[in-house]
Amino acid sequence: MSNALTLAPAPRSEAAEQVRAEVREFLAAELAAGTFETHVDTWLSGVDPVFSRKLGERGWLGMTWPKKYGGHERSAMERYAVTEELLAAGAPVAAHWIADRQSGPNLLTYGTEKQRQEILPRIVAGECFFVIGMSEPDSGSDLASIRTKAVRNADGDWVVNGAKVWTSNAHHSHYGIVLVRTAPSDPAHRHAGMSQLLIDLSLPGITINPIRILDGGHHFNEVVFEDVVVPGDMLLGEEGNGWHQVTAELAFERSGPERFLSTYPLVAEFGRRVADSGDPAQLAVLGRISARVLALRQMSLRIAAALDRGELPNIPAALVKDVGTSFEGDVIEEIRKVVDVTPSLDSPDPLARALAEAQLHAPGYTLRGGTNEILRGIVARGLGLR
Amino acid sequence: MSDQDLVVETVRDILTGFEPFALTADRRWDAGLWSALADAGLTGVGLPEEAGGSGGELADAVAIVRTLAAGAGAVPVAEQLLVAGPALLAADLDLPSPEEPTTFAIADAVTVHPVDDGDGPGRFTLTGTVPDVAWAGVASRVVVLAPAPGGIEGAVLALVDVSSLPASDAYNLAGEPRGSLVLEQAAASGALLSETRAGELRARYALARAVQLAAALEQVLAWTVQYAGERQQFGRPLGKFQAIQMELAEMAGEVTAVTALTDAAVQALDRGGNVVLAAAAAKVRAGAAVEVVARLAHQVHGAIGFTQEHKLHHLTRRLWSWRDEAGSELVWSRVLASGLLADGPDGLWPALTRVV
Ligand SMILES: Cc1cc2nc3c(=O)[nH]c(=O)nc-3n(C[C@H](O)[C@H](O)[C@H](O)COP(=O)(O)OP(=O)(O)OC[C@H]3O[C@@H](n4cnc5c(N)ncnc54)[C@H](O)[C@@H]3O)c2cc1C
Repeated sequence: MSNALTLAPAPRSEAAEQVRAEVREFLAAELAAGTFETHVDTWLSGVDPVFSRKLGERGWLGMTWPKKYGGHERSAMERYAVTEELLAAGAPVAAHWIADRQSGPNLLTYGTEKQRQEILPRIVAGECFFVIGMSEPDSGSDLASIRTKAVRNADGDWVVNGAKVWTSNAHHSHYGIVLVRTAPSDPAHRHAGMSQLLIDLSLPGITINPIRILDGGHHFNEVVFEDVVVPGDMLLGEEGNGWHQVTAELAFERSGPERFLSTYPLVAEFGRRVADSGDPAQLAVLGRISARVLALRQMSLRIAAALDRGELPNIPAALVKDVGTSFEGDVIEEIRKVVDVTPSLDSPDPLARALAEAQLHAPGYTLRGGTNEILRGIVARGLGLR
Repeated sequence: MSDQDLVVETVRDILTGFEPFALTADRRWDAGLWSALADAGLTGVGLPEEAGGSGGELADAVAIVRTLAAGAGAVPVAEQLLVAGPALLAADLDLPSPEEPTTFAIADAVTVHPVDDGDGPGRFTLTGTVPDVAWAGVASRVVVLAPAPGGIEGAVLALVDVSSLPASDAYNLAGEPRGSLVLEQAAASGALLSETRAGELRARYALARAVQLAAALEQVLAWTVQYAGERQQFGRPLGKFQAIQMELAEMAGEVTAVTALTDAAVQALDRGGNVVLAAAAAKVRAGAAVEVVARLAHQVHGAIGFTQEHKLHHLTRRLWSWRDEAGSELVWSRVLASGLLADGPDGLWPALTRVV
């Protein structure tokens, strides 16, 4: 098979199994104490800053980052085990998710020393949350068409105007890494002239308007910038290098277990039902679902191992996200065909609730982080077709 | 170059002389390919030299099986190297010469009688029909997994010489022999296996098929990508059309998933221990991928891929066959789910993280 898509098997990691056991124990205690309830898709909807701080205290945020920024210098495999356990338990991880997964690594690669020292230790402590400011009302899949503009003023600061949309959890977050045009668009070089700015979301001129998703939940937002003055030293990375920077970010964004475990709490609930019923048709469905989960874990682990080796496996990450998010939707249909349960958010039956949550969140799985059509285009490039 | 690269290259070299061919009534397997492999010592790889094998690791044997599967080599190498040989060794039974093909079969309806007693290897007679024997009429010996004699728990593993027995005429969708053998008081050396060991052996057989499926899936994808790059319609290669790119990308996702999981299951087997769930998962996942990959491969190839002349069917017909052999997805998905729930209703996730 084409080398661009192939990744070496992940080595087994005793350290990862060790930390997995610790997280499991912690989660069991928290569940028993009633500090959280299991839900589907909690990395979008489960905002709980107190919980995030607890994870920080345990050393489970910024796990792979250098110690001098508060990180723990552990392996991507150990981090993988932690994130996987949190997702499987449906724990409320949305507050810190983007900062820990994506913005921190982005700062490590492109940030100035000052930016890193100021921000990274706060992320590690579970006290500083981030948003991804990429999409705009007229720019989704075609991200290079963004129009939000940043212009240098006489003091060397950036004046930002425009609007970002679908920004998950902007109303709970401290900073955004915002993709802006710092030079007029040039049809001949569509990817030139973009930059990333590190923007404090409390700055004057920023308005955050809620947008509700299908179940009425408020998770994403429109963020409007009107003459927002961003200090000159808050440029992230190089001026004009924004496109390269956002695409590099995507290996972190696309390959993690959140791309196939958003609906795991539904699978767990279904597993309980099957254990009860022993029904052969349900057993077969659970078996098929489990085989897919096991394959996805191996794929995702291979990417974690590649990150440990210092690679940036963008193309395999796109592939894992395509297969993973397709699975997240399929699971709902597979399960509902073999259980006689009416989905309802307020049912006393946990399976009915999980089905309802999973169903109402389903359209998002294959959109966020790049749609499956776009991802398949990237995979096709990896196959040498483009 | 790693050992496995070397093995793969050797097998590929040999295969080029025996490109995939349609099997016919008078050509039921590739005897010439088998002899060439046997002469090179490749039909004993992964089996220790003390026992008459050629030595080498499990990974080497798997590499051979994968290469032959991708090349549609019509020889019982997967059965011999990954199932029958290791099963005999694990049961302390003598290994027949690796130069003569030995296959494996599950014979739930065969009755077994001990000729002598005592534990460990012994003598048995077997009576009844062994169905769906891979390479029936081709292999001179079958390692049969049959129910233990009445009142005894577990199963009997017996090595039966079938060189003089006629096999019924039956073939899988790819034309590979899958007939049955009728045993009448057939004398065999054999050993008693615990139910657990017998279950592991069935799983090994399923994993062998999963390994073949994985290799064939990869090859079908590679052929299809190549074809899409060459075939022109509307003035450009098919692969430039977005609809075709989507189909190829979907195939790539399926193939990558299967490879990752079968690799992990083989590694689990190599580490020892109980691989029933890992093998079950690999077989189920590979079977599921066949649906997508074979369908889209034929779609992208258009009418030419629907012909006997084109090579595509040598692998798609094997994919359609192998997914139902050594236990279907239905069978193994139930084994997998039951095993994952063995620790109770809340044990699913911890179990999932232990399988591979
Ligand atoms: C739950 C959720 C959270 C999100 N969080 C964030 C966030 O925090 N920050 C952020 O910046 N964005 C976020 N997004 C936005 C997300 O990245 C976009 O939705 C996504 O990139 C698609 O853009 P769009 O919605 O404008 O769809 P469009 O680009 O308008 O696409 C509509 C459809 O057309 C298809 N399509 C478009 N172009 C092509 C093409 N060239 N070939 C084939 N098909 C094509 C798409 O695949 C899709 O099916 C979030 C989205 C969701 C659903």
